[in-house]
Amino acid sequence: MPGLLQAADVWKRVVWNRRAARLDDDVAPRFKPGDRVVARNVHPVGHTRLPRYVRSRQGVVDRDHGVFVFPDTHALGLGKKPQHVYSVRFAARELWGPAAPANDAVYVDLWDDYLDQA
Amino acid sequence: MNGVHDMGGMHGFGPVVPERNEPVFHAEWERRAFALTLAIGAWGRWNLDMSRFAREQMPPADYLGSGYYEKWLFGLEKLLVEHGFVTREEIERRVADLRAERRAQTQPEPAREAE
Repeated sequence: MPGLLQAADVWKRVVWNRRAARLDDDVAPRFKPGDRVVARNVHPVGHTRLPRYVRSRQGVVDRDHGVFVFPDTHALGLGKKPQHVYSVRFAARELWGPAAPANDAVYVDLWDDYLDQA
Repeated sequence: MNGVHDMGGMHGFGPVVPERNEPVFHAEWERRAFALTLAIGAWGRWNLDMSRFAREQMPPADYLGSGYYEKWLFGLEKLLVEHGFVTREEIERRVADLRAERRAQTQPEPAREAE
């Protein structure tokens, strides 16, 4: 068990540690930029970073951010479950209906486990 | 969880009004709440996602009426109690003591109200 937090350790133990959501694990991506995906319609009772407003909606993978800790399992102490995170582009009309501006879009960072092929 | 924190697409909150030259902290207690959260987090008993989950479990009505660092403080207290660092009673006792101290400082003659 760590003892007193010393001023000299603050950077390493407090600040640096909080950047450690990115992982070096060699995990294959399930999707690539340009792939059409659909966000899963799931309602986990624990922590999730899958917003309600994208569930069941279709989008396109814009970028692959790399491999990160999966928040849903990590928040419950069930492990880091390393996986790719993508910036997924959702057209505003897909999310908010025909009254939304035609050219608007929302980019949401989503983990592999939140997505299926559309 | 489908909590009140997942506010994307909700109506009725009015426009977002950016504060000009917004300070990092609006009060000294916010600075302390932030520092305490990071310092105690360095013990490694919980991770960032557990901290976020703790904040999400604030009762919905309280959540909507609370500021950013009030939510941080709620989450910190919840984790501290769950991991046995302090008891809920110890926190409540300290809050009551501080409240009494402040009352003694700001209202030296409460009996005057009855006149």
